[in-house]
Amino acid sequence: MRKLSFIIGAVIFAVFLPTFADMYLIHVASSIMIFMCLALSWDMMLRTGQLSFGTAGFFGLGAYAAIIAVDDFSVSPVMSIFIGAIFAALIALGLGVAVLRLREMYFAITTLALTSVFMVLARNLSNLTGGAAGKILFHAIFDGDPKKIYWLILSFAIVVIALSEVFERTRIKYAISSIRNDELVAKSCGINIFKYLLFVFIITSAIQGAAGAIYAQQYAFVEPESTFSSNFLLLPVAMALVGGIYSTPGPIVGAIVLGFASEYLKLLMPYGHLIIYGIIIILTIIFLRKGVYGTILDKVRSK
Amino acid sequence: MKKLLVFLSLIFVLSAFAQKPIKIGAILPLSDITGRQAANAMKLAVKEINDAGGILGRPVELIIVDDEMKPEKGAAAVDKLATVDKVDFFVGGMSSGVHLAQIPILKKYKKITVWIGAASYKCEEAIGADADWYFHLHPWDYLQGESYAIGWKAIVERYPQVKIEKIFLAYEEGAFGTASFKSYLDEFELAKQGTGVWAGLMKDLKGAPFKSAALGGGDYRAMLLQAKQYDPDLFIWAGYDADAVPMLTQAKEIGFAPKLFVGAPPGWPADFGKNPLSHGVVLYGMWAPALKDVSPIARHFWDAYIKEFNEEPATYFAPLGYTNIYFLVEAIKKAGTLEDKAIIKALREIEYESPVGGILKISPSRIIKNQGFRAQKILQWQNGTQHVIWPFEYATAQLIYPFPGWSGR
Repeated sequence: MRKLSFIIGAVIFAVFLPTFADMYLIHVASSIMIFMCLALSWDMMLRTGQLSFGTAGFFGLGAYAAIIAVDDFSVSPVMSIFIGAIFAALIALGLGVAVLRLREMYFAITTLALTSVFMVLARNLSNLTGGAAGKILFHAIFDGDPKKIYWLILSFAIVVIALSEVFERTRIKYAISSIRNDELVAKSCGINIFKYLLFVFIITSAIQGAAGAIYAQQYAFVEPESTFSSNFLLLPVAMALVGGIYSTPGPIVGAIVLGFASEYLKLLMPYGHLIIYGIIIILTIIFLRKGVYGTILDKVRSK
Repeated sequence: MKKLLVFLSLIFVLSAFAQKPIKIGAILPLSDITGRQAANAMKLAVKEINDAGGILGRPVELIIVDDEMKPEKGAAAVDKLATVDKVDFFVGGMSSGVHLAQIPILKKYKKITVWIGAASYKCEEAIGADADWYFHLHPWDYLQGESYAIGWKAIVERYPQVKIEKIFLAYEEGAFGTASFKSYLDEFELAKQGTGVWAGLMKDLKGAPFKSAALGGGDYRAMLLQAKQYDPDLFIWAGYDADAVPMLTQAKEIGFAPKLFVGAPPGWPADFGKNPLSHGVVLYGMWAPALKDVSPIARHFWDAYIKEFNEEPATYFAPLGYTNIYFLVEAIKKAGTLEDKAIIKALREIEYESPVGGILKISPSRIIKNQGFRAQKILQWQNGTQHVIWPFEYATAQLIYPFPGWSGR
């Protein structure tokens, strides 16, 4: 009951934040929610035992699909977000058939390489993507209204959190946990491993594609170096690790802690804040092996 | 009486500084030497201005926010400066990718913005023709390309022995190099039709890609052999600083010494000039430390920067950052008010002699109305020092031509 009250309170607070916060806080909160969705999607794939480094790749695919949809096909910006998600999901479906035969570091390296392949394609399909210079829109989504953009991102984040909880609370959890723990046992229990892996890969890629589409519509541009930046892989991974993996609250906590720490540390220390930020991540990962959320949970349970 | 005068002066100075400061918000990447030195130079300019009594009887306050070279951070920094710090003006800038994300936010506030970074023409397209509050000081990428041709034409006229008909462009296979080659190809097509800036100069163009040492490559021999066989009048490579030394070493190894050996990376390795192979290499840039020998304002900036920060300015973003503040402040002084219309008018009218080398004067570019610098300079490494070869009014040395070759080094 207390948990439910907390969730309802948090949602109400998040919904009404733009009515009392300044534009800066709204902007920072919007960015944090985008990265939180990426962190959650990365963690959802990790729950199957597969370490994916393709987050930035699918993020970029969604971003490009959304900008091209609006610029070349006059699709509405909101609709383009769905197109970004569907495009990333379709690519994941096509590639998943091949790459999901791989395991462990082979899968990880292949998904990392996919990001480079997507970036090279974006750079070279100049007529469609604008090439190395990228592509711009003359108007950001909702004409750049930060409150509406915030609520759009908040809605998306709530959907992603709900999806993550579906993965935690339905039989999908048992299937993917079983695959992660021992594939042979999972197979002998009648679990169709490939089907589940493909399903999770498609869903998480769609989330990443939608996140990229929203980001691209928020800032009204795509450009190969920025859109496929490793920042969209490394930061979500750090957020999930700091918050705690294999759960929904972990990546959320990690995103909030690292998101605000990164933004407000630099206001305290204009020079060298990135070093402190890096040290915080390293120390958390070393000393809080279960992440911030996992450690707090352990403490609460042990009382 | 004397005491009374001192007392009154003190009261006057204190009252001036008790006034609300004029706030300038700067956004720069502070973990990068370029951004850090630009920030230092801005602080130096603000210190000098405040020491001289401020502007309009008010002190100037500079608030710097780190964009971390990330688009979303750069965009959030605009919101912070506008709504938390409530700045009057925006300055700064570096990466085009970051600036593209900032443009929708800048358009929201429409505060006077004087930007020193972002060379991509996409930023100009994104800003659009109507943004009369937006001033861009760094030359756009296409203006830089045009200025090289203008510079080479001037050099060919000044030095009749120089010939630039056959050009070989070695380009790194990534975005930067590929875009450079594409722009040269476009210019070559125009030159063949007798139009464009390279008309009458470039008669033939050949290109070959290479994998940059910065991206895991570093073997240029195949490309250099192709270039040697072509025997160009001007050999130019568009890669990264990591390519500079191995490129020269391998060119020496295969005995390739074109008459003009030009490098066009975004930055050069530290102490590149100390390498004996650097002598005679031509480069493009907005500024060279040697400018201090021919320009009093460049000398003043150089000395003041070293005195204040105990280090030499190493990148052109240092004098450009200094220019950024002074150019805006001179316009405010001329306008005599903080009213936008008056300052925009003043920014369009003033001429500011910059330590970057040259008079800064606003004129329209392809899309925007308020473009500042339009050209880069042609420089040459000579005995460890970067010298200005063109524009001739800022030349600090004569062109060494042909490239001295490799014997004895």
